[in-house]
Amino acid sequence: MKRIDISAADKSPQVIFDPENYLYEMKGNSRPENVRDFYYPIIDTLRKYFEKIVAENEILFFNRECFKFNFKLEYFNSASAKFISDILIIIKNSTEAKLNIKVYWYFDEGDDDMKEVGEDFSDMISVPFNFIMVKR
Amino acid sequence: MKSYDVVINHKGFVSLDVIDDILHHLKTYLQSRQLDKKIKKRVYSLAVECVDNIYKHAELNKKNHKLIESYPPRFIVERIGDDYLIHTGNIILNKNVEIIVEKIKLLNNLNQKDIGVLYKESLSNAEISEKGGAGLGLIVMAKTTGQKIKFDFERINDKFSYFAMQLNIKK
Repeated sequence: MKRIDISAADKSPQVIFDPENYLYEMKGNSRPENVRDFYYPIIDTLRKYFEKIVAENEILFFNRECFKFNFKLEYFNSASAKFISDILIIIKNSTEAKLNIKVYWYFDEGDDDMKEVGEDFSDMISVPFNFIMVKR
Repeated sequence: MKSYDVVINHKGFVSLDVIDDILHHLKTYLQSRQLDKKIKKRVYSLAVECVDNIYKHAELNKKNHKLIESYPPRFIVERIGDDYLIHTGNIILNKNVEIIVEKIKLLNNLNQKDIGVLYKESLSNAEISEKGGAGLGLIVMAKTTGQKIKFDFERINDKFSYFAMQLNIKK
């Protein structure tokens, strides 16, 4: 199973995809210089992983635990938002196929805009998010 | 009289290094001020969208050195009291003028709720260009400021115009 473990940099977030531990997490800032090169492989890996579970009818086995998506983003530009929305479409398709997935959207106390973006995203894919305010 | 600061005043070619310098300077300034987290974040994220937009036209500038002397790319951030103004300017191709005018006029005629709807639709439909643009920048600007986008075009010659834009971030 393909894992992803990308360290955070100045302009790009930390990204972890750890299927064994049922975890996908993005953390930090996102305005990569080449946004396509950064996000395409991540989206491709996620899409293939979740589509395979559905296609090979492993849903029951997958659902023995809940797969967690943690979005702990401080800032992202509009091009990154497009790719984050592509990741959310994968979540939407997977939940519609009855996969057990939960989305956690973190935002800093006072950062109402980041919470609002999460609400927009949740609305867009018709999947409820769990919102977690972080005090700093 | 309201207090006034020129936070950033950049005129000239915009490279990735220049963008890093501008954003670093802006971040340091915002961190040093007692401001709502929301305002800090808005000024910063709008600045990123603006400099990204200017950078996308950098190829145009590289090929037109002479023109740049008279019409340099411009990125200015001012503080007037509690409000912030971002001014940008860059050369664009005449053939793109109408597309931009239509886009801004449409946004300026929408209320915040409709801009939110348009944003969500555009996210799903956006295609990422080779330069990494999603075409979402202007929508994000209208959504984040909640204000009308002020803009102007000056025709330079048969091929180019100078596009000036102003964003207003109110407390």
